Amino acid sequence: MTAPTIPQPSARRPPLALPDPVAALPWLLPPLIALLLAGVAVEVWVRAADISEFVMPRPTVVIEEFFSEFSRYFSEGMRTLAVSVGGLAVGTAVATLLAAGVAHSQLLERAVLPVAIMVKVTPVVSVIPLLIVWLGYGWEPKVTIAALITYFPVLVNAIAGFRDIDPRMHDFFRSVHASQREIFWRLRMPAAIPFLFAALKISVTLSLIGAVVAEFFTAGQGGLGSVIWIEQNEVRLHKVFAAVMMLTVLGVTLSTALIICERLWSWRIDRSSANI
Amino acid sequence: MAPSGDAVDLRNVSLSYLAADGQPLEAVAPTTLTIPAGQFVSLVGPSGCGKTSLLRIIAGLHPPTSGEISIFGDEPLEAQRLKELGLVFQEPALLPWRDVEANIRLGRELNAARTRDGVSIDQLIELIGLEEFRHFRPDALSGGMQQRVAIARALALDPPLLLMDEPFAALDEMTREQMRYELLDLWSVAPTQAERGRSAIFVTHSVSEAVAVADRVLVMSPRPGEIVADLPIHSPRPRTPEHEQSPRFLEDAAAVRAALRAAGPIPATA
Repeated sequence: MTAPTIPQPSARRPPLALPDPVAALPWLLPPLIALLLAGVAVEVWVRAADISEFVMPRPTVVIEEFFSEFSRYFSEGMRTLAVSVGGLAVGTAVATLLAAGVAHSQLLERAVLPVAIMVKVTPVVSVIPLLIVWLGYGWEPKVTIAALITYFPVLVNAIAGFRDIDPRMHDFFRSVHASQREIFWRLRMPAAIPFLFAALKISVTLSLIGAVVAEFFTAGQGGLGSVIWIEQNEVRLHKVFAAVMMLTVLGVTLSTALIICERLWSWRIDRSSANI
Repeated sequence: MAPSGDAVDLRNVSLSYLAADGQPLEAVAPTTLTIPAGQFVSLVGPSGCGKTSLLRIIAGLHPPTSGEISIFGDEPLEAQRLKELGLVFQEPALLPWRDVEANIRLGRELNAARTRDGVSIDQLIELIGLEEFRHFRPDALSGGMQQRVAIARALALDPPLLLMDEPFAALDEMTREQMRYELLDLWSVAPTQAERGRSAIFVTHSVSEAVAVADRVLVMSPRPGEIVADLPIHSPRPRTPEHEQSPRFLEDAAAVRAALRAAGPIPATA
């Protein structure tokens, strides 16, 4: 047997390495500088034009509010995060289960997909008042909204993933009399993992939207959405901005966490949305 | 539970299906065929003649329209259950998330109650010369290396019947010529629990490949596929690339080519 040709060294094993913070600096610095410049510009504009703080608070005031009241925004942010992640978990679990069923049954596909699309095209916020009537003002309606808003991308991608199987691979599994369970866990599920991560990257930001909107409707029951709603009524816009800042931090954290999970657990990195 | 009887026994096996225009189309004409245990058979024919269909029927991946199939005395689905079949396809069809070693191990993990101890995975990796690439995933390997892994995956099952569907068709010419002898090495070295050795059906459209590896060459006609010639191959084993220059080899190859020509012209629409 002759020695095979040596492939490119870069092609060894899955990319397990996490992003190196120093190497990331050239990508982190420009946006930070851009953000800083924009902040300075707004500060100068608000001062020069003498704009009322009830219309546009100065960025320095917002930042001071954010840090001096940090524990408030942080704890409210954690409530929003819990709703968002809880909704994402429920939505993903239900969508993955449905997708597994749909991938196995044509009948289930015909039954489930049109309904799933109907739910998807209906603006989710329109049912929040109903959910509050049914589920009260606790976490239940909020998590339900976050789940409803996140399930669809996961459903569609998971179905595609469970079906993205080389028919020859499936033939090999059949040729050794693999069980349906083996075909699912050793063939369909791994095939779907990159698709699931691609879906989660879309859904994770949707889940924050769902959580915040649900909190608008349940103002007074906590969460950053509730803070924004109340402070807006009191015309304390610097507090509204501080809450929005915390939401930005949450969004960035969630998306980054997801990209790290993908690098750790997915055998194929989805480059198309890796930068979102 | 040593397999008994002939490796493959086909009685009037045929396949037809409805074409797009609703007309029944005969892909495989009624075929009767016996392959004794331990025999290496090549199946040659023009593209689209139904060789692959016949192989898939034998593998139990597709039901025939009519006829009976027995693999060591059992139906194909029972042969699947007993893990008597080792399949190699034209494409490697490896799991992209598994490395070389895990891909070779795949068949042993599935339906594990029926797994037999054959050659060790380490030995197979050594036999295909991929020790250094043990933990590489398929997308890092060349086409030839991937196909070696696919063959090792099939042999890891220690199957008494190896079914190969144009396994080298996607490879470049030089790799192809080398691979046929690697295949023969693997086929003879890897032990099998079948006392009379391992049987194989090797589908190809290359005459020299068919003659180089087989004890017997079956020639199929253009659609509907029908076995029109059954030719013994006289070259002794073990075989080397040099034997392709020998008069025996050339005579056998000429006989196969003559049978292919006699089988009729290849239809314009495959």
